[in-house]
Amino acid sequence: MLNEKNLMNTIRRTYQQQPREEFVVSTEKILRQKARSMDKRIQVKRLSAVWSGVFLFAVAFSWIFLFSGKDVLINALNNLDEGASSFVINSTKKEPLVFIYHTHNQESFTPELNGNSSENAFSDSKNITLVGKKLSEALNEKNINAIYDDTDIASVLNERDLMFADSYLISREILQNTLNEHESIKMVIDLHRDSQKREATTVKINGKDYARILFAVSSISEHYDINNEFAIELNSKLEELYPGITRGIYLPGESARNNYNQDLHPNSVLVEIGGIENSLEETYRTAEIFAEVVKQVMDDLE
Amino acid sequence: MINVKDIESSIVVIYNKHHLDVYRFLICFSGNQNDAEDLTQEVFIRVLKNLPNFNCTNNLKTWIFSIAKHVAIDHYRKRKFATIFREGFFKQLESNNKKPDEEYEINEMKELVHDAISKLKPSYRAVVILRGINEFSIKETSDILKCSESKVKVDYHRALKILKNKLHFATEEVLTNVK
Repeated sequence: MLNEKNLMNTIRRTYQQQPREEFVVSTEKILRQKARSMDKRIQVKRLSAVWSGVFLFAVAFSWIFLFSGKDVLINALNNLDEGASSFVINSTKKEPLVFIYHTHNQESFTPELNGNSSENAFSDSKNITLVGKKLSEALNEKNINAIYDDTDIASVLNERDLMFADSYLISREILQNTLNEHESIKMVIDLHRDSQKREATTVKINGKDYARILFAVSSISEHYDINNEFAIELNSKLEELYPGITRGIYLPGESARNNYNQDLHPNSVLVEIGGIENSLEETYRTAEIFAEVVKQVMDDLE
Repeated sequence: MINVKDIESSIVVIYNKHHLDVYRFLICFSGNQNDAEDLTQEVFIRVLKNLPNFNCTNNLKTWIFSIAKHVAIDHYRKRKFATIFREGFFKQLESNNKKPDEEYEINEMKELVHDAISKLKPSYRAVVILRGINEFSIKETSDILKCSESKVKVDYHRALKILKNKLHFATEEVLTNVK
């Protein structure tokens, strides 16, 4: 019977156990040839690596010492240094000094809207926040770091099912959060648009129409004295520089429904720039003027 | 033994030491001398190409055989055994120094053995040849085939059983035919 050993011997006998002699010789020859060409390829690789190293070194050497490479390198290193230090200055400067927000953010101007009805001078895009943006840009140009908030308070009211009169509750949250975040803020401006007619809200200075400014100070704010003083300072400086640009300080009666968030920061004021019938261009002009005054007051504060 | 700086002498030494074992593995696998020779050459060309990357801590022989196994299985996939069987198997099974009926008997036996082996699936075939013909240990076989030692044991016994069964009936048939 077949046992394992017999089986394997049978298998061995079945197959030709020796390759042909020519095959063995020719294969060895083929392997030798292939090995030689591999050797050459490896040597070529090694040599080309060495030579490209030498070449690169020569190029770098001649660039640095024979041409103007040394100066270029030194300049580049210096620039690197300067770039780093200017960045540090910027980052310390970044803390905002002025905060501009809009309790009635959708207040708009009829000349900018297609329908001319004065009751509907509201827009969710072309509105008072553009003036706030302009003011903050003007301040930043004067090196006073200002930030502004353009939260759509009207839609937040809608979401929370609140009335228009509750706008100050929403803007209060925004102001409170911002003050918590930035202790550096020295001035708070709640920017509005008045609802008076064009005659009341416009003034001609040097042949150009400017939107007029009105300040409002809450008499029930716990910071009333400082709030009022702050408004007076802004108002008188404006009056000095551009007579007729302000309409003065408005003090809503004791019955005023709220304090306009003026209890949160002593130097906070409600500012109305222009009325329903002013154009954005007219309010932008006024924003530039107002920025000048804010800068002066800020310089006095420091 | 492997000198990467002198690949030529290394590959010649390796080839002379191992070509016979590799050939014997491949002849059993393919059943055809021409194919076995071509495949043997293919194995050593692959060995040469990978020689600079060969990790000396590995066993050289098992490394060569794992290459041989790949070459064999690739070949098997390309051409099914049946076609090889038809082409060249009978032509090369020649023996000149036997008497006619002995010759007939032996040739028929060889044919049966080859038939049995060629019908084993490739993984069984590889185990039988490596363990039985090339006499690798279980550990070496498992290294070459990249499987566990227990799988080598199980596959080897199953493959042997299949072969024995086939050849048992076959030898009896052959013998009764002769008598």
